[in-house]
Amino acid sequence: MDKIARIDMGAAGGPKVTVGGLGDYAGLGGRAMTSLMVAAEVHPLAHPLGAENKLVISPGMLSGTTGSMTGRLSVGCKSPLTGTIKESNAGGQAAQVLARLGYAAVVLEGKPATDDIYKIYINKDGIQVIMDNSLKLMNNYPVIEKLRKEYGDKVAYMSIGSAGERKLLSASIACTDPELRPTRHCGRGGVGAVMGAKGIKAIILDDAGMKMRPPKDPEKYRDANRKFVEGLRKHPVTGEGLPAYGTNVLTNVLNEAGGYPTNNFKSGQFAKASDLSGETQAALEISRGGNATHGCHRGCVIQCSGIYNDKDGNYVTKQPEYETVWSHGGHCGISNLDTVAKLDYMDDNIGVDTIEMGVTIGVAMDAGLAEFGDDAGAIRLMEEVEKGTPLGRVLGSGAAITGKVFGVERVPVVKDQALPAYDPRAVQGIGVTYATTTQGADHTAGYAIATNILKVGGDVDPLKTEGQIELSRNLQIATAAIDSTGMCLFIAFAIMDQPETFQALLDMLGSFHGIEMTGDDVVALGKKVLSAERDFNTRAGFTKHHDRLPRFFYNEPIAPHNQTFMMKDEELDEVFNW
Amino acid sequence: METLVKQPATDQTTIRPLEKRLALQLAPDRLNAFFPLLQRGVTVPAIMGCSLRSLLCDQFAIPSDYVTDRITTIFINNRPLDDLDTTIIEDGLRVTLSAAMPGLVGATMRRGGFYAALRQGISHVGSNRQTADEMGVVRLKLFNLLLPELGPLILARGLLLEQDELDELLMRLPELSLHNPNGTGRTHLSATFGE
Repeated sequence: MDKIARIDMGAAGGPKVTVGGLGDYAGLGGRAMTSLMVAAEVHPLAHPLGAENKLVISPGMLSGTTGSMTGRLSVGCKSPLTGTIKESNAGGQAAQVLARLGYAAVVLEGKPATDDIYKIYINKDGIQVIMDNSLKLMNNYPVIEKLRKEYGDKVAYMSIGSAGERKLLSASIACTDPELRPTRHCGRGGVGAVMGAKGIKAIILDDAGMKMRPPKDPEKYRDANRKFVEGLRKHPVTGEGLPAYGTNVLTNVLNEAGGYPTNNFKSGQFAKASDLSGETQAALEISRGGNATHGCHRGCVIQCSGIYNDKDGNYVTKQPEYETVWSHGGHCGISNLDTVAKLDYMDDNIGVDTIEMGVTIGVAMDAGLAEFGDDAGAIRLMEEVEKGTPLGRVLGSGAAITGKVFGVERVPVVKDQALPAYDPRAVQGIGVTYATTTQGADHTAGYAIATNILKVGGDVDPLKTEGQIELSRNLQIATAAIDSTGMCLFIAFAIMDQPETFQALLDMLGSFHGIEMTGDDVVALGKKVLSAERDFNTRAGFTKHHDRLPRFFYNEPIAPHNQTFMMKDEELDEVFNW
Repeated sequence: METLVKQPATDQTTIRPLEKRLALQLAPDRLNAFFPLLQRGVTVPAIMGCSLRSLLCDQFAIPSDYVTDRITTIFINNRPLDDLDTTIIEDGLRVTLSAAMPGLVGATMRRGGFYAALRQGISHVGSNRQTADEMGVVRLKLFNLLLPELGPLILARGLLLEQDELDELLMRLPELSLHNPNGTGRTHLSATFGE
């Protein structure tokens, strides 16, 4: 990964490709690359859909190697949904292929003068930007089917659906999985709308003739990777729970904790949660000839995904994740997994974020557009988005817009991005991260990343009240660093509980780049990324007053614990004091 | 009371009602039929007044190291628990057992975990209050990896099913030609699994 490609879509005479060295961005990947580049090169007051914004696509620091779990792809820009800086990442094959092609980043710049749409083909010989208006307003599954006839099956695809072309604020960017299905999405923040604004419909990544990226110290890298994989396989979460049930294993647990937001955050428990649980879902998938254990990219040993078939054994969608099952399920009072699976397919096909879309439908239900528990009503609302009707465009622009248009008070967003599937009144600590993250409400911004081992911020007593602020800060720092490596966040549990597995990760990073890597280096990287993101947001006009949850979380107690969100503003303001 | 007992071995498992007790011997692959009930919770007879650790280890006969290493997430009346020894079993208590969970919130819910502070407002607070040493019931839920691992043990020990719960279970075991006692009230069910 020794080069950066810049594609100016607004260049005179048509798109212009420039390939250069890494310059100030040497050694970066993933979120570190996208955020530091956006912070340095995008005007903070730029219109997110205008020529001044940039869409930065970057594989992780270890992507394209033989290392396990290294397949995350980061996409960054100024978000049209939040107005903040944005990094959204996904699995799938794209990161591995782009890294093997040698690109640390592909940057889409400028804005085309016409409504023509383009596809980008990248292989060992270079980059072509090709006008292809035959793809206009196609959705992701048919787009990939069409492109496969031209480019075959030994490539990776990235694409946007009709939502991205329509510049809807919940639009995502799809990455294909090993079976070339567009099921893995950079979902959050409307990054698909930015790609649509650049006039790019699809990117075809062809690494024929390219080899795996070689480590500086191959023997040490191989040994570290072996220990890393052993650690993942022996841990009960990464070696057993996630492979067996996927992330949806959380449904029962969150519901039991009273932290499962139900009917647009009116209750912390859903009476029919067990109908939606990962345990139920896995049994159903297996009984229908699907698969409850499946990887989103080659080289994944956790295999937390799956294949969801209908009752006749026909493919419907990939295994919906916990956040999706919640947003389209309990959040909307829906308990039918087949309905959730259909909505998940529609999300992937139209190209919208499943969290934003599900939360939006729940807000729309509060507005009276459908009843809670109305499966057909939820599907009907999604069809409006698919058709691009005026109502569909409102819904596709997210929960905040929908709440404003229909006069709904209970709108669960921070910085206009929908909250994920954990009620901050039950789990107060995660509310700290929702409120203060640079990205808008995001459950992955402060993941359970080994802060105990890293000693980020020194030793924290987790049983003290003030520990919630410190823990959130430390989690956000550590997560920013891991998001830069290209590693899947689900490695978190093995490296949190097993120091030898964390050391193996450090050894992978160090031996690949020929340096000694310590926990301090990881912390420094995380702080550097977060500082750049915070600085961008400040220049974009965000203040501490944006680092708050919506007022209803402070005013409306939620069952079964009858708690409100109790963290004081002054405490929230301490999160980024380091 | 009526008892439902398994008839002499045939090629199909069948039972006949004698009183409202149901003892099943089933093939191992039928264990899955009990998972929906066990997820939602079942009523289990137990001696009250002991600690949760004693309930799990002494009454349910779950090995101590399994309780320590495998049952890493426990809820008491919807509250995540950190200390097994200061929780005293009372009649009607809801006890939920889970293996380690993914996600930050999964880690947060862990017993005595590093991130326990993030959910401190809802954590279960134990007590040393002593209660009478008499029979009662707990409402037990099993999640995820513990379903196949602890399910047989709990089912062999026996549980109490309401009529609607029994009806639902029997729908999942259509091979049982059960003459269902049409009445109300509970049925004491036990089940073992083997070839």
